[in-house]
Amino acid sequence: MNRRLAVALAAAMVLAAGCRREPAAGESAPGAAHHGGTVVTGWPNEPGGVNQLIIPASQPTSEMLFRIFLHLVEEQPDFDKHPPTFTPQLARSYDWSDDHKTLTFHLRDDVLWSDGVPVTADDVRWTWQAQVSPEVVWEEAEAKKSITDVEAVDPHTVRFHFSRVYAKQLLDANEGVILPKHAWEKLPFSQWRKSGDWFKQHLVVDGPFTIGSWQPQQQVVLQRNELYYEKGLPRLDRVVMRMIPSQAIGVAQMLNGELDFLPQLAVGDVKRVQASPQIQLIAYWFNIYVAVGWNNDNPLFQDPEVRRALTLGIDRKTIVETLLGPYGRVADSPVLSMVWAHDSSIKPLPYDRDEARRILAAKGWKDTDGDGVLDKGGKPFTFELITNSGNQLRADAAVMIQDQLKKIGVQAVPRQVEFNTLASQTVDGKFAAAIIGFTMDTSLDMTGNFHSKSVGEGANYTRYRKPEMDRLLETAESQPDVKAELPYLKQIQQLVHRDQPVTFLWESQRLTAVNKRVKDVRPTLAFSFFNLKEWWVEPKP
Amino acid sequence: MAGFLLRRLAASLLLLVLVVSLLFFLVRHVPGDPTNFGESSRLTATQRHHLHELYGLDRPLSAQYLDWVSSVLLHFDWGTSLSQQRPVSAALLDALPATTLLAVAGLAVEYTLALLLGIAAARRPGSGLDHAIRIGGLLFYSLPIFWLSLMAVLLFAYVWPVLPSSHMVSVDYDTLGPTGRFLDVARHLLLPALVMGLGVGGGTARYVRSRMIEVLSQDYIRTARAKGLSERRVLWVHALRNAAVPIVQVFAVTLPLTLSGALLIEVVFSWPGLGLLTFNAILTRDYPVILGSTTFSATLVILGNLAADLLHAWLDPTVRLQAQ
Repeated sequence: MNRRLAVALAAAMVLAAGCRREPAAGESAPGAAHHGGTVVTGWPNEPGGVNQLIIPASQPTSEMLFRIFLHLVEEQPDFDKHPPTFTPQLARSYDWSDDHKTLTFHLRDDVLWSDGVPVTADDVRWTWQAQVSPEVVWEEAEAKKSITDVEAVDPHTVRFHFSRVYAKQLLDANEGVILPKHAWEKLPFSQWRKSGDWFKQHLVVDGPFTIGSWQPQQQVVLQRNELYYEKGLPRLDRVVMRMIPSQAIGVAQMLNGELDFLPQLAVGDVKRVQASPQIQLIAYWFNIYVAVGWNNDNPLFQDPEVRRALTLGIDRKTIVETLLGPYGRVADSPVLSMVWAHDSSIKPLPYDRDEARRILAAKGWKDTDGDGVLDKGGKPFTFELITNSGNQLRADAAVMIQDQLKKIGVQAVPRQVEFNTLASQTVDGKFAAAIIGFTMDTSLDMTGNFHSKSVGEGANYTRYRKPEMDRLLETAESQPDVKAELPYLKQIQQLVHRDQPVTFLWESQRLTAVNKRVKDVRPTLAFSFFNLKEWWVEPKP
Repeated sequence: MAGFLLRRLAASLLLLVLVVSLLFFLVRHVPGDPTNFGESSRLTATQRHHLHELYGLDRPLSAQYLDWVSSVLLHFDWGTSLSQQRPVSAALLDALPATTLLAVAGLAVEYTLALLLGIAAARRPGSGLDHAIRIGGLLFYSLPIFWLSLMAVLLFAYVWPVLPSSHMVSVDYDTLGPTGRFLDVARHLLLPALVMGLGVGGGTARYVRSRMIEVLSQDYIRTARAKGLSERRVLWVHALRNAAVPIVQVFAVTLPLTLSGALLIEVVFSWPGLGLLTFNAILTRDYPVILGSTTFSATLVILGNLAADLLHAWLDPTVRLQAQ
């Protein structure tokens, strides 16, 4: 069997597997779960703190916060066939007013903060006040911009009032965990951004876990919250989040049993990990797509036809097969292919050097001086392709792209830039082309990425501006529910495909390693710790 | 002596002010921003602007500099960490014990090795042992410290797994008694301290060797031997004491190297000290923490040099005379 066929077959098997429900590591028979024990997990960096509103969002931070604090309702990872559903958390149920501008949550009456004080509608209202406070500057405050008031009707009823009807009202109301008013209101909002330690010292929680100890730059120990409202949960006594200095050390610690869980492996480590009889590998499609963002303000990339030619000149299939093997696939849309609203009629542009050359020639790009690089008006088609250092996958992709584009007479010069510098360059538009990872929001609101108002303001780094796109995004967003967005979401995807503001490279699977002694581990595309409260470990013999 | 001390103190202070001021402006000219949170960050430009206002980053750099200097000098307030939302002093104090422990242990390894090997080599210059020590010393001194760290991890944590590969404490630290905690930290300290001591100790051993050879050829050593003193006493008392002056100076000169070595070692071993703190602060452009920790290191280096000068003056009266 030739290599390419083998890879294709492996990919097909993974794709077939991807259609089923995400597999759990060591799924248990009902009633078999054991209570107690410790699981040690490894993370690349430390959670930022315990107050969600003042710390930068990061994977470890959200993983930890969402297990110590509760949301009103919990978004489920079931968006392959329909928009995600929500299960009760703090709220038992919710209902809408007839004009769909008022959303009422009915809270549980048996949820207590860890100091024994009940969680009430006052906590929800006060949390909203903190979320929108200009002194707090919460990163996600945009989600609350259409909420005019949050009214505590009685201790267990809370009403969200909206200024308008739009698709993600429920998502926006639910954005952010509910914080303990009685414990934290003593500190004025103006002091919040310098008081990270104060919140740790005055921490009360309502989630399944609390913080047992926090050794800065070393580890955070999550400990069972004895007052958690779901009886019998969590099953584990302790979950240690240990900061690991590098991926290589993380894998080595996983192999020698120091770690029980490593949320993200590199493809290169898969073989070593799979060879270990103690470790199970869980692979699941992840909510990030990687793309080459062309700076649409740069004269080289202003013409959609030229961007299309560049996509045709990049052999994405080979890049994905070489770098990700069966754990990746060529991306073709900002709505990832496992999501209900993905437009499957879109087919990735093929690798077609002749067509790419033809388009470029039609646009006046010719190699007049015979140096192998196309030129126009005396200027060569050459640009810098930046990517963040420390990400070998993207660095390798940059080199492959350089080689492929060279064959159509385009000179890309790869350069690795430290992440913070790259972020400034992309935010300020001071770049030509960049390999960037985009996180797909499950709300599927792409205003931040493609609306002209998000140039310089949001995440429209490529500075793509098109009135048609703005109209589509606005129409989609103003539908009464997410499902009604579908026709517009499809048109948005088609327009992105036509205009190629970015060249999509790949969607990939997240590769998580779990020691087989840890059972019922079910990571989702957004959270490794999604069902942490259900994890359990086999007792030592 | 008082005049000498005052002059040297004043010069050190001036140097410190210059270094710190230069640092303040240099750090702020590095591309990047403390509000660049991550790839999935949804911070808008307006919010970014709010944060800049809140942290005072929107004001002219010179005004920020004056503010910073005055709050440090008048209130001993080092500002608030932008990435940790806590006082810089708290972050530094949290990290200081770990770095101190590592530095002291590293220096102990370095000087024990340097003295033992340097003196052993100096006793028989040109012998096989001397060559081995010189070449070995040069080798360890030349190896990049992060590479040495990684090799140590590979060797002692994986190939021959006897020591922990990272961190200062183990997962169960919370549940251990006082003796258990002490032993736990000691076990974790061994590898980073060895790497640190080996890396710098090779160079110091070469220095000790050359000083000792020089001193051993002096007349007073011949006299001491002629008086019938034991070789051990000649070496460790008469010779070493005279060789000590320049070695003390080497200590001061190598202090920056030790500190920068500690940074890399802390990063590789996840050692929760100032080095790791500074490294992360640089990545997140946490200016107040970068300034706090580098001011601390700069003070240490300058004080080290000052102490070396004073020690030198105390040990060698001619220096005092020249100064006068």
